Amino acid sequence: MSDTTQFRVLDFDCPSCASTVERALSNVAGVQHVEVHYATGRVEIEYDDSVADPDAFVQTIESQGYTPQTA
Amino acid sequence: MNKQSITQYYRKHRKAIVTATSGLLYGGGWSLGYLTSFEMASAAILVLATIVGGYDIAKTAYHEVTNRTLGIKTLVTLAAIGAIVIGEYWEAAAVVFLFSLGSYLEGRTMRKTRTALQELLEMTPDTATVRHDGELQEVPAREVEESEVVVVKPGGKIPVDGDVIDGESAVNQAPVTGESAPVHKADGDEVYAGTVNQEGALEIRTTGAGSDTTLERIIRRVEEAQEAQSPTESLIDRFAKYYTPAVIVLAIGAYAVTQNAILSLTLLVIGCPGALVIGPPVSIVSAIGNAARSGVLMKGGEHLERAGKIDLVAFDKTGTLTKGETTVADVEGFGVADDEVLSLAATAEKKSEHHLADAIVDAARERPTAATDGGTTVARADDTDAGRRSVPDPDDFDVVAGKGVIGHTDGQEVVVGNRALLADRGIDIPSRVADYVREREGRGETVVHVVRDGDIVGAIALRDELRETAPSVVAALQDAGIETVMLTGDNKRTAAAVAEEVGIDEYRAELLPEDKQTVIEGYQADGHVVAMVGDGINDAPSLATADVGIAMGAAGTDTAIETADMALMADDLERIPYAVKLSKATRWNVLENVGLAVLTVTVLLAGVLTSYVTLAAGMLVHEASVLLVILNGMRLLRY
Repeated sequence: MSDTTQFRVLDFDCPSCASTVERALSNVAGVQHVEVHYATGRVEIEYDDSVADPDAFVQTIESQGYTPQTA
Repeated sequence: MNKQSITQYYRKHRKAIVTATSGLLYGGGWSLGYLTSFEMASAAILVLATIVGGYDIAKTAYHEVTNRTLGIKTLVTLAAIGAIVIGEYWEAAAVVFLFSLGSYLEGRTMRKTRTALQELLEMTPDTATVRHDGELQEVPAREVEESEVVVVKPGGKIPVDGDVIDGESAVNQAPVTGESAPVHKADGDEVYAGTVNQEGALEIRTTGAGSDTTLERIIRRVEEAQEAQSPTESLIDRFAKYYTPAVIVLAIGAYAVTQNAILSLTLLVIGCPGALVIGPPVSIVSAIGNAARSGVLMKGGEHLERAGKIDLVAFDKTGTLTKGETTVADVEGFGVADDEVLSLAATAEKKSEHHLADAIVDAARERPTAATDGGTTVARADDTDAGRRSVPDPDDFDVVAGKGVIGHTDGQEVVVGNRALLADRGIDIPSRVADYVREREGRGETVVHVVRDGDIVGAIALRDELRETAPSVVAALQDAGIETVMLTGDNKRTAAAVAEEVGIDEYRAELLPEDKQTVIEGYQADGHVVAMVGDGINDAPSLATADVGIAMGAAGTDTAIETADMALMADDLERIPYAVKLSKATRWNVLENVGLAVLTVTVLLAGVLTSYVTLAAGMLVHEASVLLVILNGMRLLRY
């Protein structure tokens, strides 16, 4: 089943950083659609919940050097 | 401090700590450089400063490369490594330190913009007091179910959307509608989650909780609006896609031709169009956030940019400039008792949903049972309780859009309508009727004729009070250099009287609903950028036609929010000059930011190519320009 989750990243410091996080998230297994908005810091992920694990999203964002908050 | 809290502190302030450490090392290494015998130590410290400050940047750069995006961090990393390779340790440390400092400050200021809306969401309390089988229970606000009864104490925040079923109070609706004055709420009135109950206790039957409340819906829409790219933003994004690779090619080319490594590395540093891509979104997000807090929902940067060009505002008259509460001001019978005129008209109009019809039917019900001024008593046997009269149903009735109604009752044909309807049906208007009509219209009232079997038996004058704020709002728009126009279905004389009272520049009268669209198209053809203000439901077509459609009183009505480009949550006309001025300020702000960015890049490019600007200076100017556009954009948060 497809599920959607949201995070908020308040410390994006450049628009290209947001695109990099978007690319990285879309490479996580089970992710169907990702939108990362630089201006609002909103991250929206649509994923297959039988494959993807939301914890992996947090780790991916953190590994890029940003702090996701649940929103 | 124990180990855990130190780790936590470090994680939270990592960027600041890294930047400060790299800065201190940089300062130390640079000072040492002035002492001739410490050159090696100075170089070592500067390299260390570069590594400390650059580690995180390089890590992100690695991710950028592996994810095949080309970002500024890759460029900065390349420049720093290049500078070290050619032995320019000072430049390497300076670039890295300035970049960390800049992005730390950018992150911090952007956080303010990003959290501007959060404050609104925090208005909703976490728990609700629910009445269950006569007992009060505290439950999480998100878990309240539809039709459950929630009790809110005086001074408490309302946790859910719902209808008041008991109690009476003044509620401050500022978080939802932006109105500062509290609104009186009693039985049957709608209340919104996040608003504050100021006076008495209220019992509320829940209609929505959790993410299904008006406030949450508004905030979701505001965020969507902030994220929607404006035309300027898409243009810049397309440009940025080519700009960065172009600068890299230029850097390689420059090195091939001049063999000047510093020049090529400096080009890399300024190869990210920072201020250009950051400026416009910050302006727009700040403006939309500011508007949301004042009860104005802007549908996105595109609409905002268009609204910044508005030079003509068209107002629908009824319900927009006026309160939309039409009442019967006077009834005049011609050869027939006033009361009979009202009864006839009310019967014919009973099934109509027009606001004039409602007023006539209400007046007929409210009239005292015995006529006081007509002579003939027309009391009916089926009078209802509480002195309210019942109005009989017509045998049949037809609406003639924009003109009136034709109905049959007791074997009589009753026509209630304006001059146009009478003309259509070939009914003559005697001069004393015409005099009466002219006199009432001169006062800004709307008059309908009542015709029985082809003869005019009376006329009814209806009045819709102006909103107190209407004249000052029109004046404020005129002061801002904006033309104002009133559109109405009323006849010219009524329209003229109202227009004069409001002080509006121009009016267009006797318009059928579809004519309003045509009028707007006409203004557009004359080169105007037109905003249309209406209720968002009846005026939906003209709101859609206008360059910017502004719906009033949109809280709770999703249709109005759907159709409009801008929605005023409250019925507050005073938000219109504010919204228009904010849009204009935003448009300027975006232009300022783009101008500043283009100027910076041009000066930098020229400086680099003439070797006046080297790595550190290039980075300093670049970061300063980015911070400047962010701060400039954020002025709109406090507009």
